[in-house]
Formats: sequence, C-alpha cells, structure tokens
Amino acid sequence: MLAPMRSIRVALAQIAPTLGRLDLNLARHHELIEQARADRADLVVFPELGLTGYQLQDLASEVALRLDDSRLADLAEATHDLSAVVSFVEESADHRLFIAAALLEDGEIRHVHRKVYLPTYGLFDERRFFAAGDMLRAVPSRLGLGVGIAVCEDFWHLSVAELLALDGAQLLINVSSSPGRDLASTNEVGLGTAASWRQLMRTYAQLTTSFAVFCNRVGVDESISFWGGSEVIGPTGAALLSAPLYDEGLYAVDIDTADIRRERIALPLLRDQRPELQVRELSRIVAERAGLASDSTSDPDAEAGLDVAPGSRTPHPIGFRRRTGG
Amino acid sequence: MTANPRAFELPTELEIDTDVARRIIGEFIRGQLRQAGFERAVLGLSGGIDSALVAYLTAEAIGAERLLCVLMPYRTSSPASRADAETVVERLGCASELVDISPMVDGYFELESDASPLRRGNYAARMRMSVLYDRSAIWGGLVVGTGNKTETLIGYTTVFGDSACAFNPIGDLYKSQVRQMAEAIGVPDAIIRKAPSADLWPGQTDETESGFSYPVLDRLLFWLIDKRRSIDEVEALGFDRDLVERVDRMVAGAEFKRQVPPIAKLGPRTAGIDYLYPRRRPGSARG
Repeated sequence: MLAPMRSIRVALAQIAPTLGRLDLNLARHHELIEQARADRADLVVFPELGLTGYQLQDLASEVALRLDDSRLADLAEATHDLSAVVSFVEESADHRLFIAAALLEDGEIRHVHRKVYLPTYGLFDERRFFAAGDMLRAVPSRLGLGVGIAVCEDFWHLSVAELLALDGAQLLINVSSSPGRDLASTNEVGLGTAASWRQLMRTYAQLTTSFAVFCNRVGVDESISFWGGSEVIGPTGAALLSAPLYDEGLYAVDIDTADIRRERIALPLLRDQRPELQVRELSRIVAERAGLASDSTSDPDAEAGLDVAPGSRTPHPIGFRRRTGG
Repeated sequence: MTANPRAFELPTELEIDTDVARRIIGEFIRGQLRQAGFERAVLGLSGGIDSALVAYLTAEAIGAERLLCVLMPYRTSSPASRADAETVVERLGCASELVDISPMVDGYFELESDASPLRRGNYAARMRMSVLYDRSAIWGGLVVGTGNKTETLIGYTTVFGDSACAFNPIGDLYKSQVRQMAEAIGVPDAIIRKAPSADLWPGQTDETESGFSYPVLDRLLFWLIDKRRSIDEVEALGFDRDLVERVDRMVAGAEFKRQVPPIAKLGPRTAGIDYLYPRRRPGSARG
C-alpha cells in the first residue's frame, strides 16, 4: 500500500516569553495560534515553558497550572482544526511541579508530557524546583501521524527518541529553552550549544527515520540568552527549515508525510530494531549496577557500572570468564 | 594566515565569533533594560578598551542617544586617556559629562598624605561608582558594568567600586576577547593598541604591575577554569609552574569579590539561600 501523500504545514513559534507573566504569555500564544491558523498551519509548536519563561526559581509554584485550569482550556479551545504544542509548569494533584508540554487539538488537551530528565548541573538547577516525569508515550494526533513529545534535556539522553519512535512516533517534537553558551569561532554557527543541537536533531531524525521538530525560544532571562535556531528535520536527516538564531518569529514549512514511508522502506532501521535484546541487556545491567548480579564480562574487581578495574588489563576474551577449580 | 596581522595577540583557543557575541550582548542589554523598566544607560568611560567597548556595544544595542558616558578623571590621570574617551564620545555621538573626582579624593586624604597608592586607587574607584550612580538617577538610566572576565577572576577590581553595576555585558569575555570584539565593532585603534592600565598612578600599566601578559594570563585562566584543567595539567600544556600557582592563588583569593556577601542564616527563608527569585520577577520593573 502506498502512503498517501499528505502535506502538513508545521509552524514554529520562536518566541521570547516574559518571565513569570502567564497573562502576557497566554495572550501571545493566542495571538500566534491565530496567526498560524491564518497561515494555514496544521501544527504550531511553542518552546519549553513558553507560557512562563524559564528561569523561574521560586516563581514556579506561582505560575503553575492544574490541567483543569480554565486558562489551559481556553488555549485548547483556540485549537479547533489545528494542533498546538504548548509548555508550562504543571501542578499535579499531589502538588508536584512538572515542566510539561501538552498537545492541544480540536479544543482538547490530547496529551501531556512531563519532562523526564531535569538537568541539575552547570548553569541548570531544575531538579531543585521541579519533579521529573515518569512516562514516555507516543500518541496519535489529528495530523494522521504518531507524535512523540520531549522537552529539551530529554533529548540529551539517547533512549528517548528511540523509545518514542518504537512506540509509534513519526513526528518527534522537542520543545526547548536552550541557553546559548560556549561561544567559539570554530563551530559552524559560532555557538557550541547550537552546533550540538543541530547535530542531535539530524541524528535522531535519521536514526528513527522520523520527522524531528526542534522549537527553541529566544530572548533573555537574567544572565541567560536563548538562541532560537528552531528546526524541522526530515526522516533522511536533512533540514527542511532552519529558523534564524535569536530572531523572534513564526516560521513555517510544509512537510510531505510520504517521506516517512519512503525513508523507512529505504532505510529500515526501525524494522531492524531489537527492543527485546535491549530489554534483556538492560535488565542485566540494572541488576549488575544494583549489585544483584555479577558482571560476567568485567574485571573481577571492577566497580558496578564499569568493566575495567583500576590498574588491571583484560586477562581473557570478552564473554568468557575463566573458570578455575571447576 | 598572516595576511592581516592584528594589533594584538589573540590566542587561537580564545577566538570567538564576534557577530554572535554582539548579537547575544545586544539582546542582553536590551533585555536587562526592558525588564527593569528603563530605556537609558550610563557608564564610566575611562579611555581604556573595556569601557570603550561597552560604550560601543550599548550604543549599538539601544542607540547612542540613550547612552550617557561619564568621564571621571583624577588630577593625576593621564591626559591621553581623557582624549581617548572624548574620541569615543565624539565617534558615537552620545551624551557625556565630565566630573573631576580630585576634590572628593583629595578632601578625604587631606590629613593622610602618606596614604598608599592602593588605598587612593580603591577610594577613587569607589568615588567614581558614587558619582556614576548619582548621575544615573538624573539621566534615568541603569549603570552598565565594564569589568572583563580576566580582571574579575584574578580580583584586579575594587569591590563596590568599578565592579558595581546594574548588569555587565562583557564580564564573561577575557581581555583578549575584549580586544577582538573592540576591533570588530570599530573601537579606535589607538585605544586597542595602548597598554592596559588602571591609571591608579602615572605610567602604571596592568602588565608591568602584575608581571604577566594578558594573552598568557587569559589562556591560563581559560584552561584552568573554562576547560577544568588541574594545575599539573596546565603545567603540562607549557605554562610556568610558578605563574600557574600564583594565578591559582589570586583566583581563590578574589572569590569574595565575585559573590554577594553571605547573610547569617536564621529565619525560615533567607534571601539568596532558600528565597530564590529572579532579579527581574514580575513587579520588579520601575513603574
């Protein structure tokens, strides 16, 4: 069966949220959803914490929304005949605060992803203020595609894009508030962070043979400048849209969903994935790292999580532990 | 690659994309002012490269008509510095004021003619801060900092003096990178080429006073701090061990200058410890 060619217009709202001002940011979201609709977009994506700003610290609890909040319902209401991904601080019934990204479609909240990996190192301090999500799910959308949503740091962990693709995602969406840093003259775009993200998104798109959407904010919170550079990458790993660095705007591109089939036939990586092998090996590694089993292919004195013991050299072929006295 | 020799030495590993840096700094300056409810900026212009660069960057970000440069010479300050500062004002077409700080400094030290140059220098820096903040109230602008990363790391600053500001656009640029930026943005060549000086006394230069050159110091700090190399590792890169240890001590010794003073923890919530809000939280902007 041939996949019907279907063109989807993806719009990226590369905005500069005002820190802590839900009212202003909500108004901006409504405005851009209307603009996206006028531009005949099928999907409009907003950046991580686009409704609140990023560097919230103790403001997080003050701007948090419950999923039944009327302001979210109003935003969802604006999405008839349109899909939108928006991001905010979600407060759960037990008062945990999550960095959340929601898929809004046809007046409803279709899916909520809670950021799974919270960076708490370097310039990041997310774990101090937020709880980590525990779920990764690809979900169907009115676009006729499986959608997998992730938030910023989630994509600095290899397994996330893969799990979403295995779960049925054909469109991977990463919403980010990526602070620009590592200024250098040697990178293709003069900014280490931008070079890393461009590489990551191309790699994920190609290895999952999916469309990959990256929506990053612009503007300044405190010391941090966000660099934009939002992108849409096709299943071959080729960039279909690269928004400029630092410029606020709504950037759109038409994607041909038949590219997914073409690429998955030509490069059947997902077909050849071995999730059962991964589960088996992961179960083993988890047990070994917890000290519940010994690693049959590591040096006897190696610490959990390592194969090599200090000062030792592999005494025997990998996979065959020498048995003595047996 | 020596077709266009620079007026200064720029270590390869410190070279930056100046277009990207200008864009980030421009957004930063505009963001800081907007978020605080201000449209104007003020800075102390010495005639040196740091404040000249900040003047150019600020003018580029918000327009020269919104910038006030205050020249605050002391009676022993170099006339050449003042001339260089005036050139910057002229080229940018920004507002400027001249405030001679000699009476303030001399008034205080009148009965202490034996006060050391260091004490006088620090006092003068704090007088300039005082003048700058007062002029900022009249101008209706925020004070823009002009300290660079090198001097902040080694502590070559006067606490609550030249380091005092509302925000600092160049505090993460090493001196060598300040020079690269200054060249890219068009700071007059004479300012880029002259020997850096705190101008605390006639003829003083940073490099003769400290005994090391900025390109070497910048590289050393870059490897020690940004690249997280140990003292042994930087020595293996070819740096002189004594220099490395001396700089390492200076960086540690200046830690207090880079941080907000600690508050004794007593109550349930304490500013900076467990009461943590962004400076620019809702409601913080001037009305």
